[in-house]
Amino acid sequence: MSASALSSRRDFLRQTQNADGGWGYFPGKWSWLEPTLYAILALHGDPAADRGFQLVQRWALPQGGWRTSAEVAESNWTSALCLTVYCARNVKDQAFELGLRSVLGTVGMEGSFLFQLGHLLHRDLVDFDSSLQGWPWRPQNASWVEPTAHSVVALKRVEASGLKERLPGIRARIDAAERMLLDRRCTDGGWNYGNTRVRGVTLPSYPETTALALLGLQGHPKAQLKPSLDLAQHYWRQAKSPLARAWLAISLRNFGFSRLESAPQDPPKPSQDILIAALQCLGEPGGGHAFLKTGSVA
Amino acid sequence: MPGGTGRRPCFPENGKCGVKLKRRDLIPLAGVGAASVYAALQPGAKPRGRFGIRSPVAVVKAANYEADLTGQIARGIAECGLNVRGKRVLLKPNLVEFDSATCINTDARVVAAAVEVFERLGASEVSIGEGPGHRRDTWDLTELAGYRSIIPDFDRRFTDLNRDDVTPVKSFLNADSFYFPATVLRADLIVSLAKMKTHHWAGATLSMKNFFGVVPGSVYGWPKNQLHFYGIDESILALHRVFGSKSFAIVDGIVGMEGNGPIQGNPKPVGVLVMGSDLVAVDSTCCRIMGLVPENISYISRSTSGNISEDDIDMRGESVADTTTSFKVLPAFQNLLVG
Repeated sequence: MSASALSSRRDFLRQTQNADGGWGYFPGKWSWLEPTLYAILALHGDPAADRGFQLVQRWALPQGGWRTSAEVAESNWTSALCLTVYCARNVKDQAFELGLRSVLGTVGMEGSFLFQLGHLLHRDLVDFDSSLQGWPWRPQNASWVEPTAHSVVALKRVEASGLKERLPGIRARIDAAERMLLDRRCTDGGWNYGNTRVRGVTLPSYPETTALALLGLQGHPKAQLKPSLDLAQHYWRQAKSPLARAWLAISLRNFGFSRLESAPQDPPKPSQDILIAALQCLGEPGGGHAFLKTGSVA
Repeated sequence: MPGGTGRRPCFPENGKCGVKLKRRDLIPLAGVGAASVYAALQPGAKPRGRFGIRSPVAVVKAANYEADLTGQIARGIAECGLNVRGKRVLLKPNLVEFDSATCINTDARVVAAAVEVFERLGASEVSIGEGPGHRRDTWDLTELAGYRSIIPDFDRRFTDLNRDDVTPVKSFLNADSFYFPATVLRADLIVSLAKMKTHHWAGATLSMKNFFGVVPGSVYGWPKNQLHFYGIDESILALHRVFGSKSFAIVDGIVGMEGNGPIQGNPKPVGVLVMGSDLVAVDSTCCRIMGLVPENISYISRSTSGNISEDDIDMRGESVADTTTSFKVLPAFQNLLVG
């Protein structure tokens, strides 16, 4: 993406901001937390991002976590993204503290007695280590790759911001989640939504979830991740999906791959998908991918 | 991406796009009203069956995707006596993943033909919506599956149900409220444009299971794990309770999938489209065509709002016997096979 294209994508985000300060997934739709958070990061330093963050602050729930949308007064995996945005803006208010406790208190259901019993009796159905817990898409569900990756990134950012001593559970959750991500790695070296084998049949990885899992595993020994990084680069050369390419760019740049070729085939017109537009911005040099960098935090 | 189509999409300047109709396509369309009356007068329409009436199910042949799909879908709809005039129709195809080596999704040419037919029948609006369970870039999937190039005016019609605005529905299974896409709730008629496939959890995925795609990922994630915690069968039945009464099924069995469906199975040419307003009856009929015993599929046998038995289904068009093509199943589902 050229500098003018990046500027155009940011203009698109400014133009599609809703009156309440948030963004929908598509222009003219209600505000949702997920696209709002990515737009805030993509427009960091812009007044539009400040208005978006004010909405996020209003959406904080008294019990911890944030609303999923104006209509959905429940928190889900997007609360982890909120922590990342709060860290990026260096805001540590009460909502942040409650949100952090909510994220730390959310765990995949693999650890439950009933789930473990069922998994023991039907081990042939899905093949994973049920003792390794990450994060679910929403409370009371099992762990999956994408919400776990987002939560690990968020907690590493929180940890790096100096809260480690106050919340000793952070490192334990990160370590377990990293092991869970490695356990869910497909035989091709990448990740899909979170199942490597179903009924004995090997499943392939996807580009976008491979990029996300790698983000969660930043800081791990690179030798262990080399096959996955090789695959991510292969995906980068092949993938046409704008979403996949955006996540691959964010991930590869955070692993130090600064020179990425352009898309094999540009989409026919700029996407009207606000979430993808925001992620495309983040994936550009200086576009904000460092907000999702961990290990040696930018 | 599917290959060339016998029906080339046209793109008129007025934006009212459509698949070009041959003259013979219009014959069954014009006959819908007459066929409805005819259907009502047939012995099969006498009150019988589990619910006091037999369920019409139409099976029409289509040897391949180059066949006269518009005419055949129109014929099936007419056989079932469906009236869509003035209704907002939402077509819900089965769009899961794309693999050029197999046939995971409802073929784009079937969806294009359905758009054409429902518009010709006087629907006030024909839109398309889907919310894939694994992949988040729905638009990219529609591109790969040929939807954007084959279906007229696709970008205007389509809604990514995973990321639509949502509205809560009270008392769905264990939840006080459950969120569904506004596009689905506002439709007068939902057409489950399913694919005839085996399924590694449910045994078979047909018009009822296809409703998993209306659950929004933006609230429940990818995969829609909440439904697995409720139970796959329970969720299929609950979705049918919510949407079954305003649904119609068109199952793409022109080329189905056998073995390790719904994603990694093998193509299985059957050459049929199966249609009806009673989704339980449609799925039961599909099972029989696939060589499966519908009573052995849990969500079908447990359904309390549709006909399962052959005696309770009023077959229109082709017979099951003439179209049966035994599907291979995974070892865990051998009990589903006839005989």
